Amino acid sequence: MRDPSRIYRWLLLVASLLTVGYLVGAAVRENYRAQWKVVQRQYQDILRQKATDDRGRELLAKFRIDMKQASIPALGAVDRCVTCHNGIDDPRMTDVEQPHRTHPGHILDKHPVDRFGCTVCHHGQGAALTFREAKADDVFWDYPLLPPEMTEAACVTCHDAEKLPPDQIPLLTAGMTLYQEKSCGSCHKLGGRGGALGPALDNEGAKTKHQLIMTSLKPPHTTWNWQLAHFRDPGSVVPDSLMRNPTVTRRQALALTVYVLSQWKRDVPESYLAPDKIEQKYRALHPTPLTGEQVYQQYCAACHGNGTYSRWDKKFNRFVPAIRGVSLVSTATREYLQANIEQGRPGTQMPAWGPHAGGLLPEEIAGVIEYLRSGASAPPAMTVLTMRGDPNHGLSLFLRNCAGCHGMNGRGGLGPEIGNPVFRRAASDEFIIRTIRNGRIGSAMPAFQRKEAPALGDQDIADLLAFLRTLGEQRGQKPMAQNVTTSAPSGGRP
Amino acid sequence: MAETATREFLHNLHELPHTVKDACFRLGKTPESEREESQATFHNLFLHIHSVRVHVRTLKPTLTFGLGLMATASFVITIITGVLLMVYYKPSTDLAYQSIKDIHFTVSTGRFIRNIHRWSAQLMVLTVLLHMARVFFTASYKKPREFNWLVGLGLMVITLALSFTGYLLPWDQLAYWAITIGSNIANSPRELTDAIGITKFFDPGGFQKRLLLGANYVGEDALIRFYVLHVFVLPLTLVTLLGVHFWRIRKDGGLAKPEDPMGGLAEWGGERRTVFQPLATKTYGLMALVKGKRPPVNRGPENTVMSWPHLFWAELSVFMITVATTLILSFYSDAPLKELANPAIPENPAKAPWYFLGIQELVSYSAFTGGLLIPVIVVVGLALIPFLDRRPGGEGTWFGTKSERSVFWQSFFFALAVSVGMLAFTVNYGWLRSWFPNIHQLWIIAINPGSLLVLIFAAWSLFILKRKDSVRLAAVSLFTCFLVGFTILTYFATVHRGPNWHFYWWPSQWPVH
Repeated sequence: MRDPSRIYRWLLLVASLLTVGYLVGAAVRENYRAQWKVVQRQYQDILRQKATDDRGRELLAKFRIDMKQASIPALGAVDRCVTCHNGIDDPRMTDVEQPHRTHPGHILDKHPVDRFGCTVCHHGQGAALTFREAKADDVFWDYPLLPPEMTEAACVTCHDAEKLPPDQIPLLTAGMTLYQEKSCGSCHKLGGRGGALGPALDNEGAKTKHQLIMTSLKPPHTTWNWQLAHFRDPGSVVPDSLMRNPTVTRRQALALTVYVLSQWKRDVPESYLAPDKIEQKYRALHPTPLTGEQVYQQYCAACHGNGTYSRWDKKFNRFVPAIRGVSLVSTATREYLQANIEQGRPGTQMPAWGPHAGGLLPEEIAGVIEYLRSGASAPPAMTVLTMRGDPNHGLSLFLRNCAGCHGMNGRGGLGPEIGNPVFRRAASDEFIIRTIRNGRIGSAMPAFQRKEAPALGDQDIADLLAFLRTLGEQRGQKPMAQNVTTSAPSGGRP
Repeated sequence: MAETATREFLHNLHELPHTVKDACFRLGKTPESEREESQATFHNLFLHIHSVRVHVRTLKPTLTFGLGLMATASFVITIITGVLLMVYYKPSTDLAYQSIKDIHFTVSTGRFIRNIHRWSAQLMVLTVLLHMARVFFTASYKKPREFNWLVGLGLMVITLALSFTGYLLPWDQLAYWAITIGSNIANSPRELTDAIGITKFFDPGGFQKRLLLGANYVGEDALIRFYVLHVFVLPLTLVTLLGVHFWRIRKDGGLAKPEDPMGGLAEWGGERRTVFQPLATKTYGLMALVKGKRPPVNRGPENTVMSWPHLFWAELSVFMITVATTLILSFYSDAPLKELANPAIPENPAKAPWYFLGIQELVSYSAFTGGLLIPVIVVVGLALIPFLDRRPGGEGTWFGTKSERSVFWQSFFFALAVSVGMLAFTVNYGWLRSWFPNIHQLWIIAINPGSLLVLIFAAWSLFILKRKDSVRLAAVSLFTCFLVGFTILTYFATVHRGPNWHFYWWPSQWPVH
């Protein structure tokens, strides 16, 4: 009779051999082939070659092949980078290969590893013991290792960037300047100040790759690489991005990347903060107002350019007015400009900039109004006429002359949105009349009452004004004829 | 006399290794006769759960494929590795993730141990499911094994619960969002109570979820709950039930097997032998209390061999095959560990553990139907099988009764076509909500791809019942449909569901985050 358990004995033999084999394999992999042990044996050889004096021999004798780590609970870091980077604090190791080399610069003098660790500046997975996992750009880890040149982004965790020597943080300084030059604040908020078109950037550096769409990004799929590509061409990583291409060089993109990566509200114990950082935090509570020109450059220029020409924005599909145009600032009152800046133009891309919205201080708004009006000429004197306007006639005039650019009901089109509630509230009769009569120099708005060929008479303008005042009123409510004050020139212009 | 006592003491000291060995191993040597082999089995706590002799069919590898034993072996492996992991693991939301990272990076072979734990757990779930299928298709649940089928069902539920509770412990993104999804499945009765507007007064879904999580969200309370369940409550329950399961196998007469031919000559093992029938009832002593047939004592050769060593070789080899399999898997494939759990950044898609993905697919149609109704129908249906199919026949043989195999294949392809067709239809054309946006939710709870699948499978089974005039064949058709449906749904949700639960052919087409 055949032995019924014969096959099982064979299976048992095979399975047991496999088991023993894989256990031995795992033990070898763990104890002998581990990357950090290989690295430390190499380092031991280097130490042996360099042990030419007493100090060198002492270091060699003291060296043990063992796991090393900097454990800093205050920073939430357990950094085992020093397990492989054994030579970072040994000045003799400048001429050897990584990972054994000395840390460049004198950073470690003031930032000893046992107090700061490594990942607080370099990011990466400090607990890991292989380079691939420590670098962490293709493993599951929120903050992969920063490329060396971007490491300065982390300095502002504890320092005020403006107080650090610029030559030590060249990219960060350049990024900070570029942020203002490129008028990024027109669309993005930082510290509560800025426009509302783009996302606030206060904690941009804390973003993980899962918060960014990496679909069209070439690897590595890291946040820094995304930022870099995004600054080169926003549309290439975010297909329908509204952001204007900042048109920067590669180095400028790098600088901007470093700057946004530095925007990270990290919770670091106060004992780690440099005194200037604490001052910076205090200063943020009591900001010094910027001058009108600075405000304009940082918060207006991205859309309005230098402000002396109006333009059509293709991406927003909207007209952007020349807010420093001579004819505007000569006619517009201070109150009109203030209302438009503080309250914005709801429903358009122009956000509100008051202290509770765009975060500009009252002094700064006053300053920027001064700046806008700096090119104004004194308006010609006017005679006051009192006329009654007929809004129904005004409507027909509006449809014939205005609706083509300003849209039906003043919704805006090639021209600005004059049905906008803020406009209706803030624009004085005089302002409207002057604009209709004289047009806007440097824009598509023609003068409707030129001396040589007056398209509209005084009564027409009164009717038009009456109509404009009915815009935005509830539908079905018939506009009634009303008294309006219109002004006629007193004997023509000089 | 002192000298004699000293001599005796020295003699005993000299004999110590032998006496200790004799005390531990009562036989004291490798058994040489069948009597001693019986003793070896009988006198050992762990072995005597086996009978002394075992039917030769039981040793045929293709009868069971050792699936039940593999599940047990994986359980033993998870217990051993689990205890090792417990030494380093810290069940706190602040420390859990870091402790897993430490196990991963610094504990000697910690990563390997965690891999083994994870792989053997996955293997356990898989073998438990396959074991159930084996028991069903060999009709091994029939009288007197109905109770053990129920115990097995309980073991399956506990196995799933063990794996599910273990899923949360690493406190990484995978864990956090899988458990969030899982606890929302527990919340699914709320869809019905919401639809009929009684959630304010009667909210079993919310109660279940809070019971599971200890809060309305996945947090510290949930972690501790899952930890206690995972390392204490569930393993203890499982061991207890496992004891009952094994004991019942023995009491129910070992593995199910067909009746031997009625006396006379039979051929097996290449020889012709006389086979005797056991007597119909037990007649002697206390054994009379035990249900079953009288063992054929002193009746000459039967189709049995000694358990020692044959059965034990078989069992040991299955055990070692399981060990080797988990080791090999663990050597090459690391257990996943994603980023630290972050409630602010949802995983997309957030997927439950793979064995719940079929349910998650159903939940995506209707939370109540998919998350509660259908699972309850399935478990109750499985539990009822041995009580509705009571005609003996086919025990211990794959597809043992007439035309069972053909019904299996018919049902297999029927269920395959229906499941795939239903999924393809749903992906291409949407469902009620896409056609009638304002439809009342109750309609969707009642009529959705999941409930339709259940109805179609039930109808098919009734059709087989009528046509083949056999309860067993109806059960075979229904069980096959369930198995195919479960597999297809699980596969579909695993491979073809991407971000926002949209359909993708392959995960490589997902938008990368």
